[in-house]
Amino acid sequence: MGIALSPGQALAQRAVTAFASLSVAEHRVEAGYGVERAWGAILGGGASLRLGTRVELGLRVQGGRLNTSAPGAVDRDVGEVGLEADVRVVPWVTFRVGARRRTYSSVIARQGWTMVDVGPEVRLAFARGTISGVTRVALVPVVSVSGLPRPDVAVTGATGLQFRRRGLTLGTLYSLERYDFPADGAIARVEQLAAVTLRLDVGLGRR
Amino acid sequence: MKHLVLLLGLTGSMVPRLGAQGSTQDLLQQASEFYERLDVERALPLLRQIVSPNWPFEVTSGQRVDAYKYLGACLALVGKRDSATLYFRAAVERDPFADLDPAIFTPAQLRLFGEARRLTFAVAVRPVAPARIDPRTQRLTFAVVTTHAGSVEIALRPVSSDSAVSLFRGVNDGPRDVAWDGLLADRHLAPPGRYELRVTGSSQLLRRADSAVIYFEIRHEIAPLEDTLPELTARDLLPEQLSKSAATRDLLRGLGVAGAALLISDVLASRQLGGSLKLGSAAVAGTAVATGAVAFAGDRRHPAIPGNIVANARRRAERAGQNAAIRGRNAAKTAATVLLVTPAAGVGP
Repeated sequence: MGIALSPGQALAQRAVTAFASLSVAEHRVEAGYGVERAWGAILGGGASLRLGTRVELGLRVQGGRLNTSAPGAVDRDVGEVGLEADVRVVPWVTFRVGARRRTYSSVIARQGWTMVDVGPEVRLAFARGTISGVTRVALVPVVSVSGLPRPDVAVTGATGLQFRRRGLTLGTLYSLERYDFPADGAIARVEQLAAVTLRLDVGLGRR
Repeated sequence: MKHLVLLLGLTGSMVPRLGAQGSTQDLLQQASEFYERLDVERALPLLRQIVSPNWPFEVTSGQRVDAYKYLGACLALVGKRDSATLYFRAAVERDPFADLDPAIFTPAQLRLFGEARRLTFAVAVRPVAPARIDPRTQRLTFAVVTTHAGSVEIALRPVSSDSAVSLFRGVNDGPRDVAWDGLLADRHLAPPGRYELRVTGSSQLLRRADSAVIYFEIRHEIAPLEDTLPELTARDLLPEQLSKSAATRDLLRGLGVAGAALLISDVLASRQLGGSLKLGSAAVAGTAVATGAVAFAGDRRHPAIPGNIVANARRRAERAGQNAAIRGRNAAKTAATVLLVTPAAGVGP
């Protein structure tokens, strides 16, 4: 959920791109009481602006509800706003820097996450350029979670396909975020958010 | 006075160039003055000196022909018709273009001169003068003459070829101008080079034949032609077929995405949490494998790249169009070729 698809090369011909996404997400937390699993659908949307041929800026908003059946656990809402900057190094490699603010809300608590991630994205076209395979990994060097210390391990990864046709890009992506927090006594907290996202990008033309 | 005019008319074109020529010219002038005063007895020795092999000074062809014509005219005046005819023939043999002006010479002299022409058969052609001929609108004219009626053929050919174009074939009596349009027998414009104009004739009165040849040089004056565009090479064109490795590459890329999905869900995910939406990663991996396989099969079955084929066809058409335009402009320039004609001495420099 934390990583969104970026517009493909064909759409990069257009300066402004809007997108909508639907994710099926699974949130797993181990905080010493067994694994607490919650999952649900997350809707998202946003836009990106291409500056020249190498730089692209993006804004993303998404939100949804994660339900759980674990004993003692409560359902929660998740909402996120993110900014991304992509710099294309070579036609098939892009470096990305992203900053996100995520909030988990339940009837009993509200937890805010602030994250900055950095990492490369590799994009290889095949099927005569109509399809691209996208794979990216990123470190999250800046993580601030309310009520929790800074995690020792914070990484994200994602991979998937993008199909382009006539200014539209349909993408499917599997993504995973993992955060291992330092042990508090004998208990080490681990959180993981995995998602499968379906995203549609629409080129809006030049600005 | 009539004879003085004659003399001036005959000698007016003779411009003294050398001292020797001046001596000959002086003697010719004296002879003409005697002839003018009808003092034929004093004119004849002077004229005979000029045509004598012992005359020490240079005598131009024109002066010699004039001397013979005066000798003939003088002898005609004193009634020596045979001798007059003999000298008139000598004049005609040396210059078949030689003639007597009917307004100046007496009918008896003209009659004897005509008799001399009938007794002598010769053909001649004047050397060409330097000229600039546009074959579309102009002609190169050759001046040809026969001393009396004869069958004549006038043929022109490049000295490097035996293929001649016939400019005239028929009976001719006297001077004739023959025009040439600059084309050879194959109806193509005469290429640059040296050319020969040969006049052959046989008398219809005598059992005699004669020929004359002149040479001239032709050069082309033409605006510089443009080069056509070179053939398109493989570097100029897009590949129209996928390589065999492209299909394999597509399959590998699909497998690569699938592998990445499985790695993320297995390696990047925390084992402690016991799961990572594996169904989702399997779905993405399966989609990637299927896509790679379909792309692989499609590349193998239909290796043509239609977009590139169309783009290459457009480039070829553009090049063909540009070359057609260049050829058209070159054809227009070639059609406007001008022939530069200069006289030449022989078959070669």
